[in-house]
Amino acid sequence: MSSSSNGNGTPILELSDVHTYYGSIHALKGISIEVHDGEIVTLLGANGAGKSTTLRSINGLNRPRQGKISFQGRDITTVAAHEIVKRGIAQSPEGRRLFPRMSVIENLEMGAFQRSDRSEIRGDMDRVFELFPRLHERRNQKAGTMSGGEQQMCAIGRALMARPKLLLLDEPSLGLAPIFVERIFDIIKQINDQGTSILLVEQNALMALDAADRGYVLETGRIVLADKAAALKTNEQVRKTYLGET
Amino acid sequence: MAADASVPTLANRLQRPSVVGLLGVVVVGGAAALLLKNLTVAPSRFFEVTLIGLTTGCVYALVALGYTLVYGILELINFAHGDVFMLGGMFTITYSTHFFGLHHGQGPATILIVFATLVLAMLSCGLINATIEFIAYRPLRGAPRLAPLITAIGVSFIIQDIGLAWKGPNYITAPDVFPHSRVFSFHGVDYGWNKLIVVVITIPVLLGLLWLVQQTRQGKAMRATAQDKDAAAIMGINVNRTISFTFLIAGALAGAAGLCYSLYVTTVRFDQGFQLGLIAFTAAVLGGIGNLPGAVLGAVLIGLIQTWNEGLPWHMPGSDWTQSIVFSILILILVFRPEGLLGERTPEGG
Ligand SMILES: Nc1ncnc2c1ncn2[C@@H]1O[C@H](COP(=O)(O)OP(=O)(O)OP(=O)(O)O)[C@@H](O)[C@H]1O
Ligand SMILES: [Mg+2]
Repeated sequence: MSSSSNGNGTPILELSDVHTYYGSIHALKGISIEVHDGEIVTLLGANGAGKSTTLRSINGLNRPRQGKISFQGRDITTVAAHEIVKRGIAQSPEGRRLFPRMSVIENLEMGAFQRSDRSEIRGDMDRVFELFPRLHERRNQKAGTMSGGEQQMCAIGRALMARPKLLLLDEPSLGLAPIFVERIFDIIKQINDQGTSILLVEQNALMALDAADRGYVLETGRIVLADKAAALKTNEQVRKTYLGET
Repeated sequence: MAADASVPTLANRLQRPSVVGLLGVVVVGGAAALLLKNLTVAPSRFFEVTLIGLTTGCVYALVALGYTLVYGILELINFAHGDVFMLGGMFTITYSTHFFGLHHGQGPATILIVFATLVLAMLSCGLINATIEFIAYRPLRGAPRLAPLITAIGVSFIIQDIGLAWKGPNYITAPDVFPHSRVFSFHGVDYGWNKLIVVVITIPVLLGLLWLVQQTRQGKAMRATAQDKDAAAIMGINVNRTISFTFLIAGALAGAAGLCYSLYVTTVRFDQGFQLGLIAFTAAVLGGIGNLPGAVLGAVLIGLIQTWNEGLPWHMPGSDWTQSIVFSILILILVFRPEGLLGERTPEGG
């Protein structure tokens, strides 16, 4: 559990009635989500439910056609993607999206691209290497030639290099061996303990609900459930659909 | 970049087109023998022609880099690029003679005028190239690849027509201001200042470009954008501005090439960019499209091959065959080494 799991006060991130389209495909049909300062919030849902689209709406890659997104009290609905990270939102996207022909170090440096405090970047990189010693071993390897798990670590590390106030993680455990899945969730909690709020998209609902304070369940572009993580874990519908119980 | 996914391994490449492979070996071997024969028959001529080839190669390199930069970032073959180079030649004549009153025999003032013209020509071509991207290619960013390709060919014709309307259908002459006096003499062969100046202008521009792409923040943004636009955007990179900047730089290089070429050859015509552009594009593919040092290497090789073919005395095919030779090289490269001389094959096909 994270350090401040209260959920009081004004949310750091707030989506209200967000509609997002791909051409004529209506992918998000009025989504409302809140993330409070210090929280881990998880977004569950089947394939194609709209989880990644929600993240792409927040970070500016898919601008909503309707609805409002605000971050730290300011409207960011129409802010350009490259400005979002400057406001304090970083993302480890679906499919990792590393720069394949850059080394691990260069990828991490790209994560800090918009920062001007050059002197502190070095220290942050050391911290990423502490979290992921494997990345340090591979620091000069081209990201495109690393294993899936290594790339996942690199993508999370790269997002951390932005020093975000809010971290968006899209399926960070995808393709990882079970032992690494646990390790990734430990690290997610560690990052959260250091004060970063997290919006976590996961297929691994059990692990996600264990780590999270609250959760939302998405179904074909709509929120169908929203509750404390502990409550979701005992919810019958969730148990059947996402925790694989009969 | 994306076409590399199914690159055959060396082994099956060698056994598959065996007839073609034999043909390739024969062609390359024959060419090498022909060059050797020329070297022994007329060594000083060979040396002279080689120096001319290097100069030509430098101009090709400036143009080839523009193709490779734009391809690297958009995977678009910008067919209009050669015509921007042609405009560079026209700007050179307009600025140097009409603005600055440049003519033969002005002494040291020439250097200043040529430098000022260079800056203006680079700026003009850079801005034009960035404008082309903004008007013609940006609206097609998400469209199937054929759309921007056809558009590029259209833009190429439009620029040629503009050149035609601006300067007429005939060759126009640029002032012959590069001194022809010799820099050095070797076995009775003179190396003229006019050739050296082209090299002297080209090399700092090339080094500047490499520094820009490899060392600067802007260069990092260019490389990141080339590799993954969405990922670049969420790193805080303004992707559209980075693409505009790339076209600006590519255009500026074409402008520099236009100046070098027009003052070296001293003539410009509206359709000159088309042919030279195709040759430079071939050079970029030869070196490995998307690869900057590769473009320079490919350009110097093509420059050498062209001038050897046209200038060596002993049974060379001659200038009538230059186009055929250049494009045969292109075909050979595409068959045997589609990633080009210096291009690398990556798992993502980048
Ligand atoms: N680029 C696109 N073009 C058209 N439709 C898209 C595109 N991306 C996603 N969609 C559609 O939008 C809907 C939501 O997709 P999204 O990627 O958000 O799902 P998801 O919940 O992340 O699924 P998964 O668990 O498989 O990653 C799906 O129906 C999908 O087919
Ligand atoms: Mg997804």
